[in-house]
Order: sequence, then C-alpha cells, then structure tokens
Amino acid sequence: MRRPCVPFVAALMALPLLQSCDRGVRPPLIAIIVPSQDNPFFKAEADAAAVRARALGYRVRIDSHGDDAYLQDNLIDAAIASGAKAIVLDNAGTDASISAVRRATRAGIACFLIDRDIAATGIAKAQIIADNDQGARIVAAEFVRRMGAAGGDYAELLGKESDTNAQVRTRGFHAVLDGDKQLHRVAAQSADWSQSEAFDKTEVILQSHATIKGIIAGNDTMALGAVAAARSSGRPVAVITGFDGSPDALAAIKSAQLSATTLQPAAIISRMAVDELDRYLKTGTTGKPERQIIPCDLVTPSNVDEFVDFEKIR
Amino acid sequence: MNASGAKLLAKGRLAQSPARLVLIALRMRALLVLIALVVVFTILSPDFLTANNLSILSKHIAVYSILAIGMTFVVLTGGIDLSVGSVAGLSGIVAGYVLTHGIMIGGIARYPGVAAAIVAALTVSLVAGAVNGWLVSRAAVAPFIATLGSLYIARGAALLFSNGKTFPGLGADSPHGSRFFTMLGQSFLLRLPLPVWIALALFAIAATIAAKTPFGRHVYAVGGNERAARLSGVRVPRVKFIAYLVSALAAGIVGLLIASELESAHPATGESFELTAIAAIVLGGTSLMGGRGSVSGSLLGACVIGILADGMVMLGVSEFWQMVVKGVVIVLAVAGDQLQTRLQAKLLPFLLRSNAEA
Repeated sequence: MRRPCVPFVAALMALPLLQSCDRGVRPPLIAIIVPSQDNPFFKAEADAAAVRARALGYRVRIDSHGDDAYLQDNLIDAAIASGAKAIVLDNAGTDASISAVRRATRAGIACFLIDRDIAATGIAKAQIIADNDQGARIVAAEFVRRMGAAGGDYAELLGKESDTNAQVRTRGFHAVLDGDKQLHRVAAQSADWSQSEAFDKTEVILQSHATIKGIIAGNDTMALGAVAAARSSGRPVAVITGFDGSPDALAAIKSAQLSATTLQPAAIISRMAVDELDRYLKTGTTGKPERQIIPCDLVTPSNVDEFVDFEKIR
Repeated sequence: MNASGAKLLAKGRLAQSPARLVLIALRMRALLVLIALVVVFTILSPDFLTANNLSILSKHIAVYSILAIGMTFVVLTGGIDLSVGSVAGLSGIVAGYVLTHGIMIGGIARYPGVAAAIVAALTVSLVAGAVNGWLVSRAAVAPFIATLGSLYIARGAALLFSNGKTFPGLGADSPHGSRFFTMLGQSFLLRLPLPVWIALALFAIAATIAAKTPFGRHVYAVGGNERAARLSGVRVPRVKFIAYLVSALAAGIVGLLIASELESAHPATGESFELTAIAAIVLGGTSLMGGRGSVSGSLLGACVIGILADGMVMLGVSEFWQMVVKGVVIVLAVAGDQLQTRLQAKLLPFLLRSNAEA
C-alpha cells in the first residue's frame, strides 16, 4: 500500500513543468463576484461587467457567493491566488465583507464595489451604488398617486432584515407614505426577498385584512409573489409596486399586473466600475471619488417600453 | 484436494490479481481522486500549484476537515449531526457578542477579552452538543430528527442573539476588537495558516483516540452492532453522548475561525456546512450506517471537497456546473464504497486461502 506513493509524489513534483509553457502571455484577470447567477438582477450586473471587461481586453471570471460571507472570503482568496488584477464585487454584507476587501487590497488587488457598499472607506477603490433612498421615494410617491386621494389600507413586504438595502428602502418608503394621512399600513412582514415567501405571507395577510388596497414591496420578486397571491386568493389588490426593475417585473407592468417599480441601473453601474477599474490599472487613479451614488428610474405602464435588462435604452 | 478443486483454485488465482488491484484502488479511491484532481487542476490552471494558492487552499480545507473530523465520531456510532453549521454560526455570534458587547456584571458591561470570548463560544457549542447527545442517547430520538431540531434551534438562537445583524469590528482597528482574536484565523506559523495547524492537531488527537483508546474502540463497536456492544459491557449512551460533544466542539472551533477570518460574526454563517462535512466523511469511506470508516479518511475527503471547490473556481467553471460536478463526485464515492464491499465479500475466500498457503 505504501509503495505506489513514490511515483505519485515524483509525478506531482514534476507537474509545475507541465504548466510553465503558457505563463506570461495571458491577459490580466478580473474576478467578478456577485451574490448569485440565478437571479436576473445579479446576472445582468455580472454579464454587463463581463462584457465590458472582455471588450477592454481582460480575462474574466464570474463567481457567486450566495450571500455567504465565508464563501465570499474563499472566493476572494481564490482571486488572490489566481493573480487577479482587480475584483468587481457585489458583496455579502456591509460589515462582514470588510476584512476580505482589505485582504485583497493588501495583496495588491484593486476592489471595485457595485450595488452594495461596505461600512468602511479608503479600502476599496470605488463603491458605486444605486440610490436606494431616492428610488424608494419615487416609487412610494407613485404608490401614493395610484392609491388615489381616498387612500386606504396597505401592506408592506420587507426584504431580508439583515440587509442594509432593505432598511434603506423601507425608510425611503415611509418618508413618503407616512406623510399621507389617508394611507394606513395594516400589515408589515419580511419575506426575505423571496417570491415564494412573499406569496405565502401575502395570502395570509389578505385573509386577515380584507380591506387591503395596495401592497408595497421591497423588491420585484416579492412584488410578483404578492401579485400571484392576490390572483390565487381571488382578492384583487389595486396597487402593487416593486423595486429593482427586473425583466419579469417589466413584463408584469406591461400586462397591468404590477403597478410600478424602480429600476436600478445595474448594467450602467457595472460598466462604470469596469471603466474606472481600467483607468485605475492604467493610470493609478480612477479619477472619481470613492463613493458614487447613481439615481434610480421610476418605471410605470406609460414608460415601461424604455427599459430593458436593468437599463434605460431610450 | 481433488482435481476440480485445484482447477477452481487456479482459476481463482488468475482472477485474483487484477481483482485485487481493483480492490486496492477502490480502497484508496479518495486518495486516487485527490491525486487526479491535483493533476487535472495543475495542468488546466497555471496558478493552482503555487505556494500562495496551496496556503490558501490548506486554510479552506482546514475548516472542512475540522468539521468532518468531529462529525466522524458521530457517524461511526451510526448517528448523524445536522446541527454543525448552525452551531458554528452560533459559536461565532457568541464570541462576537462577548467581544463587542461584553458581559453585564452588576449593570456595567465588562469586556473580558479574547480568552473569555473563546471559552464562552466553545461552552455554548458544548451545550448544544450535550443537548444533541442527551436527545439521542437518553431520550432515544432518532439522530436525524434530534439534530435537525437543534439545527433550527441553534440558528434561531444565533439570530436572536444578534437580532439578525452582524457583529462587526472584531479586528484590531476597532474599539472592542482584538488583535489576538483575528490571529486565530489569519496568522501564520512556519508559513502555514494557523487554522491548518489547529486542524492538524485535532486530526492527530482524533486519529489517536479513534485507533488507540478504549473509547475509540467503543465508538466502532456501538456503530457496528449496538446490541452486541451493550451486551459486552460498552456504555452505549455515554459513548454516543461524547461523540455529539466532540462534533459540536469541532463546529464551535470552526465558528471561531470563521469569525476571526471575517473579523465579524454573522448569524447565517455555516449554512449547509453539515452537508459539506457529510460529503467529506462519505468520500473518505466512512459508512453512514456506522461502525466502518476512519478519521484519516475524513481528512482525505475534506481535501477532495476543498480542492474540487477551489479548483473549479480558479478554472472559472460556471457555478451551475460546479454543483453538478460536486454531486457526481459524491454519488460516485458512495457507489465505489458499495462496489468495494461486494468485491471484498466475493474475493474473501480466495484472499483467505492464498494467505493460508503463503
């Protein structure tokens, strides 16, 4: 049983010879790390960054951390080990990501954060995020308008409570909604950003509150869950709004199932990050402040045709 | 011996040598898979076999292997521990809480330091393990159900403790953070990350216990045939109880290492770790029915899982394919285990005879 090990070890030691041939000629590597690739928003943001980076002559790798800070840590380690020149990161937690970003920066890898920021400045080269507060305010204003002068009862579906964006959005909503004395929030539940959870919770909420006229959701997947629940329980809900501007939500707005949403310019943010990254690698500076906040767009039935894939095309 | 018997024996001998090779290959399958993976990734990715990457890789493997080594004892007794991921998360949260919020003594928060945080985290982990052990050994709850329950309880407790939030700033540059706490997961000793040394130390202890001590033999006996073990005087409930304590302690250590690496404690840390640990154990040739397997096998299995995960990331394999590949490797490992068992049973008469003649 012991003898076979000797040739194996010898073969292992010879392995580096095999690979030395194609070193040095490869274009520089960019690691793009996003929460998941089975979600249209993160997919669009990863794809937009990848396309721009490849066009600029970089080698690209896309990984996803599934909102698991430890997995993100491992992926950043892998990027360091692969000799990546820069990382484009949609991170797994504003506090839990700091040490990983710092480690990458210390290893000489420039980090460009998109979509979500971290609770520290001076480590990442740029933090480019959509203005969630402004986005929440514009969609809440539209919600108020559609609820009409008479107002009425509404329910709120909140995102994952540990997520900063969930908190920023609900604060933005209430900055507008609480000013209207005709609107009454009769139920508020977290549905963890998830469609199936939003479906279940909305069904229960509609059972216990027959008067509900509107549902304001912290993202599109939850809004679509609410749309499905309202349909299946046979209780029409006049106004349902989302947040993000996903292709599914745009389709639902076209078919008048969803009232409105806010589009986060994910594709633009990704491209900005890659452009700044390119400038940083070539000149040593991004030429921009670290924190950049990009406004969101309101999507309603009247302008829905102007948007596609997290981008305003007209 | 008559002529037909001799013929049969000769035939058996002929069949025996290739079959024996297959058997040896099957026995060493985790090692062979490991070598194959290293070869493939080295050829495909020039960055794989570099000192830098090996150091990072060993750190990842350390976390998986600590979990797997701890759970091996539970699996050897014929049980399973689904709560390790949640217990890891809880352990990190407890350490984070003690470090950043201190302990209330007489209405004043006191900051007792790193050692106390580590002790508190490991104590809470051991309590979780004791609950598992008590449920399985005394209350006779099926291990799957008992630890599934504690999976939820520990995760819920972690979320309650932190109110769903992260405890940030456990590092040196924060008011209540500590340089020593971050050293746990981030420092190096002789150019190897500290977690690797911790994993190696735990491995040495666990392997010795499993192979050389009465407790180790009792673990195998309980998993092999619980009734026979009891009738021959093994204190079955006690053995099981300790096995769950070991598993929870390992999970607690992992929780501390991760919190230290991230310099923050997040209540969702460790989701699906139990599945990674089970996969590593099974890859290492330990039977989920209990009684058969080894600690070193689990270490090998953890290496396979870690190299597979990191290697595919380095190659830029799509995450969807990564899942498929991981699943295929696990299924093949179990299939190989079954094949080995059957082949062994078939070859046994020949093996015995050739040994007797030699």
